[in-house]
Amino acid sequence: MMNTKITEPITRILSAQKAPLAMLLIFITMLFFKTPFYTSYNLIDLVNSNSTLLIVAMGFTVVLVAGGVDLSVGGVMTVSGIIAIELINSGIAIPIAVLISILFGAVIGMINGYLTVYQKTEPFIITLGMGVLLTGVAQQLTTARPVACDNPDFQNLANYKLFGLVPVLVLVMIVTVIVIVWILRSTSFGRNCYAIGGDYEVAKYSGINVLPTKTLAFVISGVTAALAGVMLSSWVNSGNSIYGDTTALYIASAVVVGGTSFAGGIGGAFKSLLGVMFIGLLSNAFNMLNIDSYIQQLLVGLFIVGIIWLDCYGRKVKRESV
Amino acid sequence: MDKKITTQSIITFTKNNLIIVGIFILAIITSFVEPNFLTVGNLQNVMRQFGPLIMVSLGMTFIIMGGMIDLSVGGIISLVAVVTISLIDPIGQAAALMVGVTIGLICGLLNSFLILKGGALKQAEALFLTYGMSVVFTAVALIYTGAAPVFMSYSKTDFSIFTAIGEGFIGPASTSFIIFLVCLLILYIIESRTHIGRSICLTGGNMIAARLAGIPTEKTIIFIYAVSGVMAAIGAVVLASRVTIASPLMGKGYETQAILAVVVGGTALTGGKGSVLRTVIGTLLIILMSNCLNLLGVTTYIQYMLRGAILILAIWLDNRKQYSEGN
Amino acid sequence: MENNNAEAILKIKEVSKAFPGVKALDRISLEVFRGTIHGIVGENGAGKSTLMKILSGVYQKDSGEIVFDGNKIEDITPIQSMKMGLSIIYQELNLVNTMTVGENIFLGRFGEMGGREAVHSKARILLDRIGCQIDTQKEVSELSVSDKQMIEIAKALSFDSKLIIMDEPSSSLTFDEMQQLIKIIHDLKNKGISIIYISHKLDEIFNFCEVVTVMRDGHLIETRNVNAISRNEMISMMVGRTIENEYPSRPNYVGETVLEVENINTKLLKNVHFNLKKGEILGFVGLVGSGRTETVRAIFGADKVKNKSIKLDGELVSINNPIDAINNGLAMVPEDRKIQGLLLQFSVEKNISLASLSELTYYGFLREKEERDISERQIKSLNIKTPSAKTKIQMLSGGNQQKAILGRWLELKPKILILDEPTKGIDVGAKYEIYLLMKKIVEDGGSIILISSELPEVLNMSNRVLTICNGRITGEFDPLQASADEIMAKAFEF
Repeated sequence: MMNTKITEPITRILSAQKAPLAMLLIFITMLFFKTPFYTSYNLIDLVNSNSTLLIVAMGFTVVLVAGGVDLSVGGVMTVSGIIAIELINSGIAIPIAVLISILFGAVIGMINGYLTVYQKTEPFIITLGMGVLLTGVAQQLTTARPVACDNPDFQNLANYKLFGLVPVLVLVMIVTVIVIVWILRSTSFGRNCYAIGGDYEVAKYSGINVLPTKTLAFVISGVTAALAGVMLSSWVNSGNSIYGDTTALYIASAVVVGGTSFAGGIGGAFKSLLGVMFIGLLSNAFNMLNIDSYIQQLLVGLFIVGIIWLDCYGRKVKRESV
Repeated sequence: MDKKITTQSIITFTKNNLIIVGIFILAIITSFVEPNFLTVGNLQNVMRQFGPLIMVSLGMTFIIMGGMIDLSVGGIISLVAVVTISLIDPIGQAAALMVGVTIGLICGLLNSFLILKGGALKQAEALFLTYGMSVVFTAVALIYTGAAPVFMSYSKTDFSIFTAIGEGFIGPASTSFIIFLVCLLILYIIESRTHIGRSICLTGGNMIAARLAGIPTEKTIIFIYAVSGVMAAIGAVVLASRVTIASPLMGKGYETQAILAVVVGGTALTGGKGSVLRTVIGTLLIILMSNCLNLLGVTTYIQYMLRGAILILAIWLDNRKQYSEGN
Repeated sequence: MENNNAEAILKIKEVSKAFPGVKALDRISLEVFRGTIHGIVGENGAGKSTLMKILSGVYQKDSGEIVFDGNKIEDITPIQSMKMGLSIIYQELNLVNTMTVGENIFLGRFGEMGGREAVHSKARILLDRIGCQIDTQKEVSELSVSDKQMIEIAKALSFDSKLIIMDEPSSSLTFDEMQQLIKIIHDLKNKGISIIYISHKLDEIFNFCEVVTVMRDGHLIETRNVNAISRNEMISMMVGRTIENEYPSRPNYVGETVLEVENINTKLLKNVHFNLKKGEILGFVGLVGSGRTETVRAIFGADKVKNKSIKLDGELVSINNPIDAINNGLAMVPEDRKIQGLLLQFSVEKNISLASLSELTYYGFLREKEERDISERQIKSLNIKTPSAKTKIQMLSGGNQQKAILGRWLELKPKILILDEPTKGIDVGAKYEIYLLMKKIVEDGGSIILISSELPEVLNMSNRVLTICNGRITGEFDPLQASADEIMAKAFEF
């Protein structure tokens, strides 16, 4: 039995400052190696390649804070990207196609929310099933081959560099982060989500409309996933059905690393951003150090298990402190 | 007690077993539309499907009955498959088989220790831990083989056992079917007649009360994950034997399919009730559904979609049933 | 008793409330006047918390009338109650631990108040009004109970409350914190706010309450000015009752010591130690939260408690989990049968055989016939009313469910049987059957530890009674010699 006097404060500190400290560690470590890590090219690429995941992570965070979880985000991403491309290919104007795709995400979010909140079913399995369903939809729509967009302007959507420097993708990501940070920090809705995730009963008794609020959280998750999906397919100019299942769980782990908890009511958009960036940074550092990509996967996997285990263990210690 | 088959009772049965009835109707429609459906050849085809999926699903049954979940089975399948096939040459097929099953066992035990020590006794917590382990197991498989598949046919030593498993017959039934029957028998006996089998239901039904009454809940959790690991290993062997290749990603997707099979069969996700027999029915239904849809010309992708839809439907219906049974 | 200068802020007339099988409140009539500190006392189950929950909108009354600040209260929700000016501070505290002080005060009203800045500055003003210096940005989980109460009071003030109900506020407070609370209560009173103060600590009632209401078994016994009642009178009113239940004659033979418990220390329990003798029924008397259940759970291995010393028949044994306990001849019927005792979806048979499964196991296999025999045996001997052994136990009445749980343990013929509220929610007939059973158990050589909030039950069935208060054993009595009042007084000895 571990001595709880020592492990409890350590776990608390780790939980509080995980991501920033760890990122600092990576930056410092990389100083010692001669790699292209510290080139502007690499650092820019780092931001670019993690932008879509960041967009999804924002909506994911809202749901998590409200005490739920949305494992269908990968599926939503995939299908919305494909929908956008197919619509544009059949002649629909780009802005409208994008809007429809995002609306699709909202609808899925509403279904997820309804089944979870109003029908009181376990969110993780419902959204898992939804993710499977959507992956199938994606495969059907593309007959498992990537689709490309005929309209060259579509690529510009994400790739166009504002001021010749910042791709629209990154701009969209920044705007999304700002919006979600604002929602969670400064709106009634956002604060109510924290209350619902923190203590459902207390929130209910305080007059908060828990059912619509929690459902809206799911809708937001669907919207950001759809947005990310459209952006991604524009970025690589391809609608692909392979992004599916793993995205959600990857993001979930990153977000927990950042400090947003599965228990709900804890964390925030900025923390999640740090979590995602940290894992992205970790992978990047591994690449730079020429660590075999499969060993990378192993390390990342072990890391995920470790972080989540610590999160659970912390709760266990609290529960059993008689 | 006389059970009258009234219209009322049929309606009630349908309501309670919507999916079973739905697939039954599908089968009837298919037999009209596609005459090949009711041929021996087709039925044998269906039997052939009782391979890796059913093994994993049987293991998953105990997990879900015990109130837990295991998302690592896909990773275990990949790992066991590549290690086993790659070891046929160095240590001989019998030894390779034993190593494979042992690896499955070890993976399962690892899962259970993590869960117990971490106090991750809620399904949602176990979900993420086992998913993480899946990533780890898959990564180990990838590293071990350098991401390259392992070809059974390249083995210089005798691998006849595997061929037998993959293509052989014992009498009228395929070897893999026999293996399935043996596993089913063993698991059914455990489930219905042994102390540990009973403990699984009890732990899943109410872990707190079971523990206070002296049920060894911790041992039970170790047991269900161990069984899940072993069954995944057996599934891996059957799979690899069938396709004569072991690739480090071949287990992908099995966990969701297994969960689907268990849930469709009628075992409640919340735990406490269920049976491996029900899972067999669930798997049969899914295979049957695939078979019908294939014959009717429905693409695999739509089938995949349907699986997701049915999973959601099955969970939702199960949830409604739990609620109406007075919660 | 009348308060000539003030009017009643709260008028409760003939309010009743029943739950399945239990009449929680029986025609309660009560008036609380403006600017008064009004205490309410009563044992466990007297109905205090039910009444408060009706006032705060969590429950709805079955009948009667409630008028608050001139308005009739019918079918209100908790938030409506708060907006009317009636706030309640629960013992468990209605705060979201993961959020800040300021936000908790204005929970659900973030937008109304004007956003983050406004919320915190308004919270600051409220906290200053009660002399509380906590930073509004601090997370509630980091606060002490005393500070959390301040937050709740500030919350009540934010609604312009005219009546604040405090339910057992002092259980976790230090002396200094208590003084601070008393000062705040007086400040509130001077502002014209009424306080309903519920507490087991009778000293507090005498210290600063002006009026006190005594409740018992869902009835309101009396409301009196505090200076017109003595402590003994108060206890008598809380305790005294006509005994409706009959009890079998007290078992007599008491032999050697079978159990010695020492050094039980947890967050709540402080060096709990006691003995139990063969053939004895040892009763535990104490308030809810005093540590009775915690003690038996520690003995039974249900909770991990380090360094405890348990001796059975003089020999030290190691009990780290329920399996150890059972192997050593202990058995426990837990407090909350729905959550801790029953497997609701399973049959009566499976629930009864639950603890005997190891006995039924031969080389890993269960002997099903013997399992059926066990359940038949217990159903018959305990007179459990069930359509069949295979019926889902959820379908049975509370009394029969409890009997099934008892049967589960009796099958093991335990040396020591722990009963935690064994007759809660059970009809009179079944209760008597259980009492007879208890008597037979000790006559056959077993020993019983009995925890019950029904004082007559404990006093009539026990050979010896231990009082426990706030985690400490405060007294030991022979119920034949000591009076109920004497014993109860020890249960209130904080």
